[in-house]
Amino acid sequence: MSKKKKAFDSIKNGLNILFASKTAVIGLVIVLFWVFVALFAPYVTGYGPMEQDWMNPNKGPSMAHPLGTDELGRDLWSRLVYGARIVLIVLPVTEDIWLPGGTAVIGVLVSLLIGATLGLIAGYRGGWADEIIMRFLDAMMSIPIILLYLIIVAAIGASAVNIVFAIAIVGAPGVARLVRSLTLDIKTRDYVRAAETRGEDIFFIIFREILPNAKGPIIIDSMLRIGYAIFAMGTLGFLGLGLPPPSPDWGSMVAKGREFIMSGSPWASLWPSVAIASLVVGLNLLADGLREELSRYQ
Amino acid sequence: MFLVSMAVFMIVESSPGNVAKNILGAFITPEQEASFLKQQGFDKPLTSRYISWFTGSDWVAEMKIGHPLKRITTEKGYQEWWVESENGNLLQWNLKGEDLFVTILEQNGNIKEVIDNDRWQKDKKGISHFWGVSNKNSAVKWEKGSAKETWNYVYGRGWGKTTGGPVEYIPLKKGFLRGDPGISLRTGRPVAKSLFVRLRNSLVLAGIAFVIVMPLALILGIIAGLKEGSLQDRILSITGMSFSVIPEFATGIFLILIMSTWLDLVPGATVFGEKAPWERPDMLILPVLTLTLIELGYVLRITRASMAEVMRSAYIRTAYLKGLPSFKVIFVHAVRNALIAPITVIMLHVNWLMGGIVIVEVVFGYPGLGQYLLDSALYKDINAIEAGTMIMVMIAVGTQLIADILYTFLNPRIRYS
Repeated sequence: MSKKKKAFDSIKNGLNILFASKTAVIGLVIVLFWVFVALFAPYVTGYGPMEQDWMNPNKGPSMAHPLGTDELGRDLWSRLVYGARIVLIVLPVTEDIWLPGGTAVIGVLVSLLIGATLGLIAGYRGGWADEIIMRFLDAMMSIPIILLYLIIVAAIGASAVNIVFAIAIVGAPGVARLVRSLTLDIKTRDYVRAAETRGEDIFFIIFREILPNAKGPIIIDSMLRIGYAIFAMGTLGFLGLGLPPPSPDWGSMVAKGREFIMSGSPWASLWPSVAIASLVVGLNLLADGLREELSRYQ
Repeated sequence: MFLVSMAVFMIVESSPGNVAKNILGAFITPEQEASFLKQQGFDKPLTSRYISWFTGSDWVAEMKIGHPLKRITTEKGYQEWWVESENGNLLQWNLKGEDLFVTILEQNGNIKEVIDNDRWQKDKKGISHFWGVSNKNSAVKWEKGSAKETWNYVYGRGWGKTTGGPVEYIPLKKGFLRGDPGISLRTGRPVAKSLFVRLRNSLVLAGIAFVIVMPLALILGIIAGLKEGSLQDRILSITGMSFSVIPEFATGIFLILIMSTWLDLVPGATVFGEKAPWERPDMLILPVLTLTLIELGYVLRITRASMAEVMRSAYIRTAYLKGLPSFKVIFVHAVRNALIAPITVIMLHVNWLMGGIVIVEVVFGYPGLGQYLLDSALYKDINAIEAGTMIMVMIAVGTQLIADILYTFLNPRIRYS
């Protein structure tokens, strides 16, 4: 009972922090909107993402198609919604196997896993382990990010799983740095000393003592990271390295639609751009607001 | 730096099989693929490929051949490797049946071809072999009588099968360290040359954007930071943030739609001929504007945070309390200290800026380094990718170094151990 109450309290606390900041609430509304439409994709649109209305290609918004159609007459709104699904809700491994958790989200989770482990070990162990890990990560970080994405995806090919892989590799050094600096701070605390004196092994200390106490900044950081990951997915799609067609990938939609701007139908490139922009801005507002409130709270 | 070059190399070269498939099409036979990989030196282990990419392979070949090698550039811009003989003539060999032919390029420009069977050397097993330079820019080892079939791919002509081909190849290059990252697999021309032109175009674009962004962002940041939490601060920082997190291509598309399609003010794409980028300055407006908007938000945020922090500090309050006029407090006391952080952070941000440039160049079709890299990446022209990436990394690391030095210079309290 008391445990339940405690959990309830901490959620309530979190919500209080969240609602104290106007910026965070605006961000949350935008993000929740996309999560909602992505979750209930089949119910918010009457068309499938690959359904073609070949009588009406490249049309503007109308009653039948609220946002218009692309060059093959596919409904843009339903493509947007199913695109959001790939980003936020499901990870298409092959045509038939779908994993829960969006491509961007899983990518960030994997990078958290790798980065946090490396950062914890580097920060807690110090010495040569720290030296080797951090030198290597510094080297990775000095490559411009888009370029790193580009060469990874170009080398291993474009598919949802490979994009997850790329997001993880690109994100891990940043996570590791953050976690390392948090660890350096936390490891001087008394409860870590106490655990050491009890004779706990290193894995217990880093995962049960240090990690839970570092979770605040890590959560905020991962929100920003999901934003970056969506940004990167869009960019890769735009560069022609996104999910293979006909998947409703936002970036690829922009790239395809761009060819038709000059012929007078900007809709196919406009809406996905708006979608990516709003989702990324929403995540950033949410993270920014939370961070501001948290720092005030402490 | 060294580590970076290894990391880049490992990622790019991790799948040479894909490279062959990508360049030669999906319908090549395994023998053709093997021949191609061998001729390009991809069959060697990763470490030796790395060494020859980084430091060149001509010195290895020179040891095997026993004569100095010379690289010349033809009128069409292609590079050719020749062996320099004692009397100054240049030599290349090829094998026809059992006979070795030498092509002699004399110093006066005459070319003649003669049989040159005296060069065969017998090894312990009695097989005649010879190390020389072929006409495909490789140092190769021929073996007499080995009826080994090889497939040769000639650009524009397709596949041809020959027997008696070489048994070992060393593709010749001077190596990245000496400014020759190899021949582009896409164009057949040296990478270094096209890279240089593209780099110049990109630097022009980045430079113009930088000159516009810096003062603008610093001024706006100072305005926003003066009164933290005020209306103008809120508006400036949220707009700035939005611009800096919206993907570059989205910003680019919005701008094209607004400025070019609806208002019809400026061209929405860049089409340059030989004399890029000065040919049509109006075509530079949108790319520069896009870059400016992206960078503006970031620099503005940093400046604002730094300014706000300075304005809260004790010496600013003191300055106000001793009755100094507020413009004097702001410009003499606050701004000077508030600018230390942004200036160095901007230098660190060059890394991001270059990512932005890649996208902006693709959006507007600008012939810069980013576009070149993307084309190379899609084609898997790995020599070009590696070289381009290394150039970008070098710029990024260089600016970071400058930022570190500048920071210690501006803020003497910091000393690196």
